[in-house]
Amino acid sequence: MSGNVIKVDARNMACPGPITKVVRAYRKANNGDIIEVLATDPGFKPDIEAWVKRTGCELVELSEEGGVIKAVIKVVK
Amino acid sequence: MSKKRVLIIGGGSGGAILANLLNPDEYDVTVIDKSRYHTFQPGQLFVAFQGSRKEFQKPIRCLLRDEVKFVNKAVSEVNLDDRYVVTSDGARIEYDYVIIATGVHLDYDAIKGNREILNEYGDYFSSIADAKKLWNTLRKLRKGTFFIGVADPLYKCPPAPHKAAFLSTNLFRRMGVHDKVKVILGMPFPHAYPSKTVSDIIEPKLEERGIEVKTYFTVDSIDTKEKKIYSLEGDEVKYDVATVVPVNTGPKIKVTPEKVLDDTGFFKVDKFKLNIEGYDDAFAIGDCSNVPTSKSGVTAHLHAEVVADRLHGLDSVADGRTHCPIVSNGEGTFVISDYNHPPLPIRMSKFKRLQEDIFIATYWVAVKYPKLMQPIFRSYFEATRPGILSKVGW
Ligand SMILES: Cc1cc2nc3c(=O)[nH]c(=O)nc-3n(C[C@H](O)[C@H](O)[C@H](O)COP(=O)(O)OP(=O)(O)OC[C@H]3O[C@@H](n4cnc5c(N)ncnc54)[C@H](O)[C@@H]3O)c2cc1C
Repeated sequence: MSGNVIKVDARNMACPGPITKVVRAYRKANNGDIIEVLATDPGFKPDIEAWVKRTGCELVELSEEGGVIKAVIKVVK
Repeated sequence: MSKKRVLIIGGGSGGAILANLLNPDEYDVTVIDKSRYHTFQPGQLFVAFQGSRKEFQKPIRCLLRDEVKFVNKAVSEVNLDDRYVVTSDGARIEYDYVIIATGVHLDYDAIKGNREILNEYGDYFSSIADAKKLWNTLRKLRKGTFFIGVADPLYKCPPAPHKAAFLSTNLFRRMGVHDKVKVILGMPFPHAYPSKTVSDIIEPKLEERGIEVKTYFTVDSIDTKEKKIYSLEGDEVKYDVATVVPVNTGPKIKVTPEKVLDDTGFFKVDKFKLNIEGYDDAFAIGDCSNVPTSKSGVTAHLHAEVVADRLHGLDSVADGRTHCPIVSNGEGTFVISDYNHPPLPIRMSKFKRLQEDIFIATYWVAVKYPKLMQPIFRSYFEATRPGILSKVGW
């Protein structure tokens, strides 16, 4: 089963912009969907790790390149 | 030369101030609002948690200068290409300039149970009448859990739920039930307040007051039979009384072209000049615009000044300044930021609470006679500029 890929661009947004966008994407997402987030706020890394733990979603990828943080989340609902 | 027709949709903070700032010799100004009354929305907190009977509502007509026309109708359609609006009775009004200042729409039907708890308990977010109802509900609460939360991370006045939490603990103390009523504040963010800096300031105060903060808690549905709130993140809370800020969206108006609205229905504007993208004769100010700052009355006021200046031929621009007050018991602080500075750490003090009380006391004068208050506000905002405070602290 492969779900939809929801892309969230939160680059150049300060906290809490990125997490706000993730929450909204998560609300619309179905089980198995992938949420792919790009963010530049350095606080986003620990925030998204904690968010994933809380929601029970799966963090498929968390990387950083040239100041852009990329998080790939598999939705578990 | 005949005067240009300026149509302002919404006579709230932004719309009323703008109408009163425009030069009546140059512009023929009309304010159109679906409500006859303008509400000082922060007052809802004092009604809900202190039973205040101060005058927090005034007829819009009385707040506008005599030269400004007032039409008490709802706008159902705006056509930016052909420069007209349609009201709910089908009338068509043409304009030379339009300023949209309709604030947010509170969608109590977006999540399950939100309207039911509004009807059952009242709330502090939507109107003075609902705030009175919440006051009556809370006065009867002798024990249990009072839950305060939000249905979406984006809502106007980010500190409103925190103010509600602080003020409710004061009330429960006055009622002598503070050891029997637990206050729980649910927030979608990793910490108590959207900004970490501000959270670090208020979290110890929330703790001191015995307020339990649940982070990563976005209300997703309310089971009014079981009296349980479920969060999007998978948590749940059992409540006795609950109040949940509903999903905030742009206005319920048919807009042509639709592409000027973002996915939440807010108007896409140039964040400096505030004109609606692609139009030089249409602006959106205050809460209904998509500027990337907190939605607040102060922002709406500052937007009104920018648009008034621009219509008077000056090249003023918005700098994204916010100034959201947080009040607790006798103390206060402000969330101060702008486009170039994230919120600063500003400690809570009695003096800042006094400043907030002065703003509240002068609100009606500031709306009706913005020019009179302009020198005071200008020097205040200049003295508290984030660029300055970030160096010297406050
Ligand atoms: C509990 C609470 C506490 C707050 N505390 C503070 C605070 O301490 N400091 C602060 O700065 N801000 C505070 N705010 C936020 C502040 O009240 C708003 O940000 C501010 O009122 C926004 O101004 P506005 O002009 O954009 O919209 P509003 O003041 O909301 O006015 C919008 C107007 O448009 C009218 N309207 C809407 N749709 C239509 C239509 N289709 N046709 C005709 N008319 C229409 C409405 O009737 C209304 O009169 C608080 C808000 C709440 C709810």
